[in-house]
Amino acid sequence: MEIVQVKNLTKKYPAFELSDVSFSLSSGRITGFVGRNGAGKTTTIKSMLNMVHPDRGEISFFGKPVSENEQEIKKRTGYSTGTVSWYPRKKISMIVDTVKRFYDTWNDETCRKYFSLFGIDDRKTPLELSEGMKVKLNLALALSHRAEVLILDEPTSGLDPFSRNELLDVFSLLKQEGTAVFFSTHIVSDLEKCADDIIYISKGKIFAALPKEEFVCRYSREGESLEDTILRLEGGAFHA
Amino acid sequence: MRNLLFKEMHLSASILSYLFILFGFMFLLPGYPVLCSVFFVTLGIFQSFQSAREANDIVFSVFLPVAKKDVVKGKYLFVFIIEGCGLLLMAFCVILRMTVFSASPVYLSNSLMNANLFALGLAFFIFGLFNLIFVGGFFKTTYNFGRPFVTYIITAFLVILVAETLHHIPGLQALNAFGTDSFGLQSVLFAAGVISFVLMSGLSCAKACECFEKIDL
Repeated sequence: MEIVQVKNLTKKYPAFELSDVSFSLSSGRITGFVGRNGAGKTTTIKSMLNMVHPDRGEISFFGKPVSENEQEIKKRTGYSTGTVSWYPRKKISMIVDTVKRFYDTWNDETCRKYFSLFGIDDRKTPLELSEGMKVKLNLALALSHRAEVLILDEPTSGLDPFSRNELLDVFSLLKQEGTAVFFSTHIVSDLEKCADDIIYISKGKIFAALPKEEFVCRYSREGESLEDTILRLEGGAFHA
Repeated sequence: MRNLLFKEMHLSASILSYLFILFGFMFLLPGYPVLCSVFFVTLGIFQSFQSAREANDIVFSVFLPVAKKDVVKGKYLFVFIIEGCGLLLMAFCVILRMTVFSASPVYLSNSLMNANLFALGLAFFIFGLFNLIFVGGFFKTTYNFGRPFVTYIITAFLVILVAETLHHIPGLQALNAFGTDSFGLQSVLFAAGVISFVLMSGLSCAKACECFEKIDL
């Protein structure tokens, strides 16, 4: 079931343009949003979160436009960024205690379950967590209010291969529970490991938005890995 | 809004915002420009804005299931509460100086401004300036607060300088009234200070909500 739709998203900056970005996300699927640094991934995600105002385009979650249903949509959606940490010197227990007040659907037991699964100690501060643990903390917070869609901006950036693998396993677990996972990355091997769908963005334009198998069938040459395919395509786009 | 206020007080606020409220007691100091205490209270609030910026508080707040304008209103509510606490202490000191200490030689021989209703009205006025110039200025970008704070400092100290000078001008001695002297004039000036606070803060909050809605984070 399609739960997020992005149509003709356009945003112009003096030196960059996000142009007619369109795609959709479905429940119970993992979608990897891949593109090199500066391709427009974060601008797209920020537009989806109503943090950046697009010049044109429509974004809807659960069939409702974001601009008019921001609060309701945020209650059903979880966000995380891989590189930013909130309140680095506050106890995690205090952050949790604050966040839970905003959600009617918050479940303490679920929160404890994910903290235990991810090995998060709520007596620590975010400053004492590794980059991977920070991502897991954000994930645990999003999942404790039963987010139906997870939007993650470069969650695997800066993680060691072991932590990346662990995180991708978590995505697979969430998929089984029916959660739609949308994560941006410039690490193509992340897609190979767990993505069902691939959205490939280059220079502010969507090059392809397809199920992974179809993407491979359409663009990969024989014996070529997904990483090689995207590098080749990016090379073509770069020299175009 | 209650949840946002909880977040402001527990996550975003610097401890200095609470501690600096105590500078309101400076209204009891003789031989000291009492209005400086208002500046110190606002300096405490500034510390909260600084620590909130370092903690990515604004983006965190936008991720919460609240309307963007409520993020702004939550911040203003926190500022009003700190200012209100400071004003309560200052009012307490003014009442003491108008009643129990009205004939105290320490205060009567004070060449600087007396802590009376006019001073309290000016405290409201300076808090209003802080809300208008600094808090409103902060929400134009949500990260650049240096220029708004410096502008506020210059404006606030100009107001303090003028206030300290006025009662030395012949004919304006009533501004420095002791006890319940010139109570009518003092009350009018106090009310003018309160009204200016309400107008400046309301205008600032409305404008900040509008700006915050438009900016890209």
